[in-house]
Amino acid sequence: MAAAALWAYRLRSTFVVAGVGLGIASLTLIVASVDGAERKALQIVKNFGPDAVFILGGDIRSRAVGQRTLTLTYDDARRIRDSLPGAYLVVPMRGKSNVTVSFGDQQRDLPFIVGATAGYAEVWNWPLAEGRDLAETDVERGAKVALIGDTTARELFGNASPLGETVKVNRLPLRIVGRLSYRGVSGGSASVDDRLILPITTMTQRFNMDRQYFRALRVKFRDPENMSFHVENLRSILRDQHHLEPADPDDFSILTAEEVLKFLATFKGSLILFLGVTAVVAVLVGGFVLANLFYISVSERRTEIGLKKALGAKNRAILLQFLAEAVGLTLVGALVGMLLGMGIGRLLEGLGILEIQFSWKVFFLALAAAVAIGLLFGLKPARQAAALPPVDALRGD
Amino acid sequence: MSAGPIIRLEGIRKTYLQGDLEVRVLKGIDLQISAGEFVALQGPSGSGKSTLMHLLGLLDRPSSGRYLLQDEDVAGLGDDRLSELRNRWLGFLFQTFYLIPYISALENVMLPGLYGSTPGHQLRQRAKDLLEQVGLGDRLQFRPGQLSGGQQQRVALARALVNDPRILLADEPTGQLDSATSAEIIQLISGIHRQGRTIILVTHDQETAACAQRKILLRDGLVENH
Repeated sequence: MAAAALWAYRLRSTFVVAGVGLGIASLTLIVASVDGAERKALQIVKNFGPDAVFILGGDIRSRAVGQRTLTLTYDDARRIRDSLPGAYLVVPMRGKSNVTVSFGDQQRDLPFIVGATAGYAEVWNWPLAEGRDLAETDVERGAKVALIGDTTARELFGNASPLGETVKVNRLPLRIVGRLSYRGVSGGSASVDDRLILPITTMTQRFNMDRQYFRALRVKFRDPENMSFHVENLRSILRDQHHLEPADPDDFSILTAEEVLKFLATFKGSLILFLGVTAVVAVLVGGFVLANLFYISVSERRTEIGLKKALGAKNRAILLQFLAEAVGLTLVGALVGMLLGMGIGRLLEGLGILEIQFSWKVFFLALAAAVAIGLLFGLKPARQAAALPPVDALRGD
Repeated sequence: MSAGPIIRLEGIRKTYLQGDLEVRVLKGIDLQISAGEFVALQGPSGSGKSTLMHLLGLLDRPSSGRYLLQDEDVAGLGDDRLSELRNRWLGFLFQTFYLIPYISALENVMLPGLYGSTPGHQLRQRAKDLLEQVGLGDRLQFRPGQLSGGQQQRVALARALVNDPRILLADEPTGQLDSATSAEIIQLISGIHRQGRTIILVTHDQETAACAQRKILLRDGLVENH
């Protein structure tokens, strides 16, 4: 009966479905993108590692103009490795941006190459797909070898193995000794998989860069449960190394997985807030469309209501009929909205704008929201219909 | 056919408020209708016969007075109880049929049963039988819009009977029909009367009223003669 009525008034039904559908579509998209952001955050933290810190030269929190970012020295690295309790792997790093890498007649612009010391893959918890990590001897000798990122390898070699092949970075020939596995998560705009890693000594010598300082330092510890303790020790060692007075600010920044998580949480919080407001507004708009169209429906169908009452329908039966119609419509709207939301989500993901994660949670949330809209916004019109005195309703045509 | 009044009205008054103006439509109706009787309710427009019909049909409540239906005073009952009584005791015919346009003839006939306690398959069978009795056995799945006026009123008649009511209230049931079709409908109503049901028929038409056993004339909110 309710279904027949919805079909009979299909233009109006379509409007309700569209209104609610748009609301549910944004809700679907929002939940999916928040979940996506969460998944990405967890992946980033997992890659970062709970047992490691990342030290950057300069204070990234104050971001003072013109401050020195090259403050970390080999002497710092040596002292950390030798005298920081619990630290077992210390890898200094430098980056060089916008280089060209070529193999045969294949050429490719790389956003970033990294100079590092032995254990680069290990210190980033980054398994090698094939070959070996950078070794002590590579660094000591300034060997012309490199690790290659998955994307870079595919671009230059297709599906063939890059191991043992020699690529040229600008004009420097480097033999590939290892290929990193695909990581897929990017921290910023550039893909982490599109890079080359060579011994830091080779990099500073061949590209004529400063040999005393480097940009960043990765340290791994044996016991991650004492991380705050490690961070404090590390900080005092570096302050001592850099001869900082007690009043001076740090000229370096120490990042831990926890801090990364905190930063990502802030980002996620603003995402939820922004998208949440959008979703609530969209869903409310859908609800008001429903309520208004149902008021029209009730006044247009007075005769039907009066007749049903004359035939013995109790107020409750009329109320339930209109509520059933409302919820039926919002459920259809929910399905349409979910499909729409998923479609838009896939599109945005394909364009690289948003990270999306669909789950049953999205499905049930959308259904629950739809039922809630139907009941909430359908209730008043339905009550109005139920309360119509039969004689007034019959006279109403 | 049991004797004794199935309907008894005592001093029924109905007053409407139109803005600040009190409109006294019924000014004290005393009336008895026996079980199995066929009465015609007549009167000029404005005499209050529609209002009386609505009160008799439990679609409206009197401002004062007593209405005994099968010895139960129904004047002060609540909405739900009135719905139950309408559903069980009363069948309605209206001038404009009031069929629901988006469901089939059969579903229209079944409608009062949905608000009662008849089991589904029994209800469907009874609705089919009734449609056959009014000559629409081959039109079960037609929508009201696909039927002529006379056919629609016959669907309405089948609907009025589906819960086997004791009383049939017909409000100008032939008002929108041509004379040949009207005669058919009146024939059917007379047949229903012969089954032992009480018929109350509101009509302008003297010819239609002629088949009733008794005429009740309403004028200015009062019954003129019995």
